[in-house]
Parts: sequence; C-alpha cells; structure tokens
Amino acid sequence: MTAEHARSPLEGRADDLGRFAAHEVPFLAQIDLRIARSGADPLPPFLPLETNIWLGWNGRDVLWLGPDEWLVLDGTGATEPAELLAELRTLLSGTHHSVVDVSANRTVLELIGDDRYQLLSTGCGLDLHPRSWRDGMCAQTLLARVPVILQERSGATRVFVRPSYAEWLLDWLLDAAEGSA
Amino acid sequence: MSRRLEAGGSWIDRAKPLRFTFDGAEYEGFEGDTLASALLANGVVDGFWSPILSRPRGVMTDGTDEPNAFVAVLEPWVDLITPATTVPLVEGLVALARAGVADLADAAPAGGRIGHVHRHVETLIVGGGDAGCEAARAAAGRGDRVLLVEERPRTITDVSGGEDVTVLSDATALGVYDDGYVIVHERVRAAAGERRVTVYAGNDPVEHTIPLPHGMERIWHVRAGRVVLATGAFERPLAFVGNDRPGVMLASSAMRYIERFGVLPGERAVAFVTNDWGKEAAGRAGAELVDVVDARDGRAVVRADGDPRVASVTIREADGSGTTVKADLLLISGGWNPNLGLWRAIGGGLTYDEGRACFVPDGAGPSWLSVAGAASGALPESAPLWFVEHGDDAEKYVDLQRDQTVTDVRMAVEAGLRSVEHVKRATYIGTAVDQGRTSGVLTAEIVNTALGWDPGAQGPTNARPPYTPVSYKSLAGPYQGLLLEPIRITPIHASHIERGAEFENVGQWKRPWYFPRDGESTDEAVARECLAVRNAIGAMDASTLGKIEVVGPDAPAFLDRMYTNRMSNLKPGAIRYGLMCGLDGMVFDDGVAMRLGEDRFLVTTTTGGAARVLDHFEEWLQTEWTDLRVFCTTVTEQWAVVALNGPQTRDVLTAAGTDVDLAKEAFPHMTFRDGAVAGVPARLARVSFSGELAFEAHVSSWHGRYVWDALMAAGEPFGIAPYGTEAMHVLRAEKGYVIVGQDTDGTVTPFDLGMDWIVNPSKGDFIGRRSFSRPDTARPDRKQLVGLLPEEPQVLLPEGAQLILQDTGAIPMPMSGHVTSSYRSAALGRTFALAMLKGGHAMHGRTVFAPMPEGTVAATVTPPVFYDPVGTRRDG
Repeated sequence: MTAEHARSPLEGRADDLGRFAAHEVPFLAQIDLRIARSGADPLPPFLPLETNIWLGWNGRDVLWLGPDEWLVLDGTGATEPAELLAELRTLLSGTHHSVVDVSANRTVLELIGDDRYQLLSTGCGLDLHPRSWRDGMCAQTLLARVPVILQERSGATRVFVRPSYAEWLLDWLLDAAEGSA
Repeated sequence: MSRRLEAGGSWIDRAKPLRFTFDGAEYEGFEGDTLASALLANGVVDGFWSPILSRPRGVMTDGTDEPNAFVAVLEPWVDLITPATTVPLVEGLVALARAGVADLADAAPAGGRIGHVHRHVETLIVGGGDAGCEAARAAAGRGDRVLLVEERPRTITDVSGGEDVTVLSDATALGVYDDGYVIVHERVRAAAGERRVTVYAGNDPVEHTIPLPHGMERIWHVRAGRVVLATGAFERPLAFVGNDRPGVMLASSAMRYIERFGVLPGERAVAFVTNDWGKEAAGRAGAELVDVVDARDGRAVVRADGDPRVASVTIREADGSGTTVKADLLLISGGWNPNLGLWRAIGGGLTYDEGRACFVPDGAGPSWLSVAGAASGALPESAPLWFVEHGDDAEKYVDLQRDQTVTDVRMAVEAGLRSVEHVKRATYIGTAVDQGRTSGVLTAEIVNTALGWDPGAQGPTNARPPYTPVSYKSLAGPYQGLLLEPIRITPIHASHIERGAEFENVGQWKRPWYFPRDGESTDEAVARECLAVRNAIGAMDASTLGKIEVVGPDAPAFLDRMYTNRMSNLKPGAIRYGLMCGLDGMVFDDGVAMRLGEDRFLVTTTTGGAARVLDHFEEWLQTEWTDLRVFCTTVTEQWAVVALNGPQTRDVLTAAGTDVDLAKEAFPHMTFRDGAVAGVPARLARVSFSGELAFEAHVSSWHGRYVWDALMAAGEPFGIAPYGTEAMHVLRAEKGYVIVGQDTDGTVTPFDLGMDWIVNPSKGDFIGRRSFSRPDTARPDRKQLVGLLPEEPQVLLPEGAQLILQDTGAIPMPMSGHVTSSYRSAALGRTFALAMLKGGHAMHGRTVFAPMPEGTVAATVTPPVFYDPVGTRRDG
C-alpha cells in the first residue's frame, strides 16, 4: 500500500545524494509519541530518558526528542505506519499518551561517508566530534537553518528532514560538499 | 632605492621572489613579506595620505593598528580597503593606495568562495605569540581540543603536544560572545593555491596541504569551553607637532621590519621613548641611532619637520634648551596598550595601571574568559606621557585616520563634554576601522588632562565586534543566491512547475500564484481561474496549511480556551471554523478544527502561522495549564491537501474514484469522511474558502503528487483548472472571508471584522476574552471591516490606500480607514475591495474617497460579502 503510488521527496536525486556518499531512506514508519513524565503512570521501559539518546527496542528505534516526546520508527522500513501505530496503542492502552502518525512528515537522508561530520559541520552547530557524538545518539537541531533530527546509527548519520525542505537542503549540501572537497 | 638588507629577515624566503604592482608600478618582494614590508623594501615609504586633510602619510606600524597605509587589493583577491601591514604578499598582487576610504568602483564581481564551519573545542586561544602558544601547549597537555587563531599569516612560536590542536593563521577572531561563542574570519591569502593545516598527533605535527583558491574565506563558528585572549599589546604613539609625517614609526614596528623582513625603514633615526621596551626596540631597528630621547630624563621630541618625510627632529632638553638633528626616521614608543578590544566587547572592564601608564583587564570578565601575556598587562613600566605640551596643539595628531588633533579633543572638552564616549562622538576619534587602537588611550588621557583629572581617571572608549572589518558577503557565506534562505515546496511542486505556474513566497513556502496559459496576462489568468471555480471546478494545492493534532482527554477544554468559539461540542466527524486571539483580544490566527475522535482534533492554521500557533499552544500548556492532559503534534507535512472548489467537484471526485458517499445529505458542509480517493487512503473534508461547493482531499504527503495528478486527469473533461493564491484571494474576498495578516494587522478584534457570532463569552474563559471588556475594544469609531465598490467599476483601488470621508482637498485631511484587499472580480464583472474603516459597520451606503496621485477614487461602502451571501452554492 505504502509503496504504491507513493513518491519520496528526493525521488530522482540519488545521483546528487551519491556525490557526498548519501542516499535517501524513504517511507519509514514513524510515530510521534508523547507521554507525560509527571503522570501517574510509570513510563514504559523502552523509552530512553537520557537527553539525545536513542534505543533499539524490539526492532524499533526509539529516539528521545524531548522530556515528554519520542519518535518511534522502524529503521528498516519493514513495518507499515498503521501497524506501528496499532502496536503502540496496544502497548500504551490505559495510560495518558498521544501517538500520531508522522511517517510522511519527514524523510531521511543517510550519510555514510567518513567525511560526513566535516560536511555536516558546515551547517550544523552541534559538536559532532567523537568526544560528544557517538552511535546511539540523536538530536533535534538546525542544519543549514533547516530543522532536522540527527540520528547516529550503525556507522551512518541519519538526517530526518521535512519533505518541504528536502530538496533545498540537498542543494545546500551539494554546494557545501563542493566547497569542502 | 632598495632598503632590503643583504641578509636577515626571519619571515621571508629570499629564494622565492614575488612580483607585485602597487599604484601601477611593478615591484619585487619575497614570500613572507607583507605588502607594507615589501613597499618599505622598495623604498616606497610615503605614498599614502590622510582621508580628510589629505596629509602625506607613511607606514607607521606593522599590524592591525595601522592608521595610515590603507590599500585596495584588486588581484588575486578583492579587498576594497585594508591596511597594507596586514596583507600577505603573493605573486601578482595588485594594490592601490587608499586614503582610508574604499572606492566601490573597484569592486569586482564574485570573489572567492566563502565557507562556514562550526567547531567545538575545550580551549580557544586568540593570538599566536609566546603567551598564546604557551597556553595552547598547556591546554593540549591536559587533553583539550585546542584551536589557536592568529591574525598574522604565521604564529610566532611553535605549538606542539596534544592530539587535537588546530592552528589557524591569517585568521581573526571578530568577536567573542556569550558562553564562549567566538566568530573567526579565516582568509586564504598567503599560500598560493593551498593552505597548510597543522594538526598535532601527540608531539608530531602532521602537515596537511589543502588546495584552496586565493580569496577563499571561511567563517568559523567556534564554541569553546575556555577562551584565552593572548592578543598582545599595541605600542602607543605620542602626540607632538608633526607626529603624523611619513618616517614616524612605532619603535617595535621598525625593529620587526628589520628582524622579520630584513628591511631598513630609515638610515638615521631618533627615538622618542617612555619605556625600556621601546628603548630596546629602537636599538634593534637597524638604523644609525642618532639620539634616544627618553621622556623619563625630562627630554622630549617637540617637532618633526620634513617635506613631507621626516628630515629633522627638534629635541627639547630637560633644561629647556633645544637642538635640531637630521634624521629620516623617528621611532616612537609612548608605552604599551594591552590589546583588549575583544575583552571589552564581552563586558570585561579595565583598570588603570599607574606604573605602566596603561589600562589592564580588571579581572571581572566572564568565568570562561581569561587574558594572558602582554594583553593581561605583562608590560614594561612607562612614564605617563601622552602628548608633548610644547608647540601648536593643532599640529599634534591624535587619531590619524580621522585627522583629529589635540586641539580637536580640547575643543570638545571646552564645549562641555566630559566622557570620552561623548568626545568620541563629537570628534569621531576611534570610529575608524582601527577602533582607536593608536588613539583611544591618548584621547582619554588628553581629556583627563584637560579636565584636571589624574591619569587613568577614565579609560578609552569601548570596543565592539568586529575586531577588524569583515564584509557582509563573508558573514553570509554560503547563504547567497538560491541558498540565501531555505525554500519549502509541497509534494506537488514539480507539477506546478510543469504547468508553468508563477510562484509567490509565503513565509519560506513557494506557492503557485497563478498558472498563466500561453500569452495570458496575470489578470487574465486569475480571471480565468476564478471563473473556472465559479462555473466548473478549480483545484488548489493547499498542502502548506499548518496542521496540528491536539490529543488528550482535555483537548476539547483546551481548544475552548484557545479559540473564541466553542469547540468542545463539536461532534466527531464535524468541522468548525475558529478564530484565535491574543491576550489583547486581537485576531491572531484562524483555521478549522476537525474532530477526529472524542479526544483527538486536527486543527489547521494559516500557512505562515503554523509554527507560531504551535508555540502559542505549547506555551499555554507548559506554563499555565500544566494540569491539562493535552499533547500537540505538528503534522503539517504529514498531509498533502488538494482543495477542489466548484459546482463540478462531486463529478470529478466520482470520476477519480472514491468510496465516500458525496451526497449532500450523507456528507454535509463542514463535515469530513475517511475513505479512499483514486485508490489511496484519504480524508475528505467539506470546507470552502471560495463560497462554492468544495471538498478538500487530505492524503499522505507521499501520495500528494499522485492524487493531484489523478484529480487533474479526472477533472479534465469537466474543465478543471489549477488555481493559485491570487485566485484564491479573489474568491474568498468575494465572499468576505478575511485573511489574517492581510485584512488584519494585529489591531483588529473579531468584532471589528463583524464576526460577533464567533465570540462565545458564555462558554467560559478563553484567550482574549478579558480584553473584549476594555472600553477601547468597544469604541464605536474603531476601524471595522467593510466592502468597497469603486464608483468607476473598472478602477482598482490600490491595497493600502487611505480613505477619507470628504474630498475637500484640504491638507491635512483626517484619515478614516485603509484598503486591505482589492481585486478585479470576473464573477462581479467589476472591481471591489475590502477595507478597514472607522465606524464602518454603520456606514454602508456612504461614499468614501481614496486620494491618489492620479486623482481621487470614490467608492461606496457595502457589507463585505459580494457573492452568494446566503451560501446556497457552498452548501449545495
């Protein structure tokens, strides 16, 4: 269902992405999850509570986005959004929470080059040095003034970006990659 | 005449001669030279002049404190004005002398590439002298990541040790900001086509050579845990008659020209000093030292004469007698000023050091900031001398870049000014690019003297970033042209381009403005699009609408507090239009709320207001109503929205294929149904912003393009036309629907808009309610929304036109309102407008006037609804 008739924001730009060792990971099922930390209900154990950490849980990536906000996704793309939504609803039934399908709200650029931090540092104010940025971390930040989520995952950096910004951000990164080459 | 010595010069490489052009003449220098040292080596010792009085001037310093030797660099990079003392010499350099003022005619199109880079370090050191290098070694030794920036093309001593030390030369810290944020401007000038980067692995420096074009610049955004200012000190000149002549040079600068560049700045020198460093520097300056006049012995240089270069120096002895000696170089050392521009700009204070006769850091700066070396006051003692009493004050120059003298300072004081900050603004001393590096302390002490105050009673004026000038182009960096600002597009954007749309910027969004067909003017295209909606069907990409899901058991109560009307009694499956006000009761945003379930709403916002509304929701939830169990999630881009408007809408949806019953009874206006459109999951909503029968198809943004294409194909037999924001504006104005931000401006209440019906004071408190009881919001003469029909039906009132009630021509004329929206209506066959008019609700039928340069336009005031006022078309 998902793939049929669907277009990803960076469809047709694989060659451009390849110029800085990146590719799009489209159509990931993503659910925005909110649970009040001050609530009476104990927090489910699969939620990372530490700032800017993501955890793998049952084949899902659970990204800390804020004190009461997480992004739950299937990083492999195997799950449909509706399945993931239903799964979380079942898991959290009886607690005060919010789950909202945001699968199409962001697409993902995956950067795999060794020099990716150099490229990202031309437009991102975060400290991406191994002293403070490691596998298992994530962060909401700005990349070239565009709001993004960064996720460091299995030797790659994933950049979650709103579809509307994706093409402009790619153009910006191409320009930056040319300059730092 | 060459002044280059046969040997010596630790910075130059005599094996690498470089040719350059200055003011049209060709010269030769060596790699490692600055333009100033190369000019001095070629005997070009004057050749500069002052900006206001056009006095001949020569090179006075060897760094960023230079007040005289300004040049424009034209090749191989472009720098419209900069001191020659800071320009590294390169092969083929072309420069012109400039009198402290740039000439934009020299500006070449497109300079080099300017990159930006962010860097985090534990320790940032500004200044690559002994103190800076020592601080870098210490920081590296404790395992810090270290960045050392030096504004000259090289550091003075070696830095080694530590695994992560980066040294940037030809790089200036422009400003130090809160919490260790420092902006550094790095230039690629010295090395031809490459830049050497030294990274230290352990104690082993690893040299990388990066090929970079000349003129490349980089702005480094550095976040540092600690910042060490090792910015050194500037030698201070002294004010005496003729002190601005070519041949007057700071003693330490003359010494550096000899030792670093092997250049002899003069043959016969007199030194005038107040301190031991200056005395020693004069001794190492290479010239025959005729006399060292030490102020501490009661002696003074009272004038320098020459035509224009110094030829003789007059010395006044302690006993009052005078002698004149021949000399072509006059070396000055009036003490030392710690270089504290960066320190002061972040709030660091100064205290007067009597023994050294200078201002040193008072230690009260931010905890992460420290000052080391000469900048911290590690300086020789000095006699407190600023200017020589003897002679005409009007010939003693204080600020050479502003041609201001001791007389000018005294006149400012005599005019009643006491603070150096006021004197600065009266004389412009310190306002040139050097920010008073040579003149600041002199001015302060002349003011102190003139007021009879002690030395140090007040210090120099404050400094502010940038430390040295930087072009806007550099600060903009990659954010230029199409990359100036992020551009947002919808999933359907490529189709709009294929259809030849003209685009309008709405916030960061590109929205189709109209879709001209062959040869159509804007007006013709908009008229055609409007008629398509009124007579058949039009399709608009409404994906940019802000969308927020509001979830939780208290969501209904929360929305009741945010909107002026009640949302809690909305049935699931139903939609309601809502207005939001600020606490001031003024309209803030509008949109619809769709009740997805008992505890779940989807609210839409204006395209430009999405982030603002979400912030507004979060602010109230997080700061005031923490007890409410509500979560808000932005889903603007989860959904692509195609708005179908027009009498044929049902036919087109049916043709495209849908499992939703579209019949009037099954699917009334202001309700929504979930189903499928063209084979993909969709939410269909009956919402109309045109006054026609209308359905919005909300689909996953992945399917936006597909569904748009499917609907356009299905609509083709029905004459479907894509329409843009301009037609949308016309259609909604024909119905009197306001656009927040166009018809409102933050001073308009719902009542002013005639929307009393949307304010429900009986439902309990809501944002803005309190303000509706203010006398001001009940004034009868508030500007109120009206319609206008120009008496000449084809005359278009300009938006923004002021309205008056009597066309007497008498000036001033009381202004009673203004036009907020104005269009040609194809449906009405004439022009019409919306306006905010004082007391307008009671003025329907009256004539008002818009005085315009081409003549006054008369218009009749009407209700703001021009088309299908009962709504039979919309509800059909």
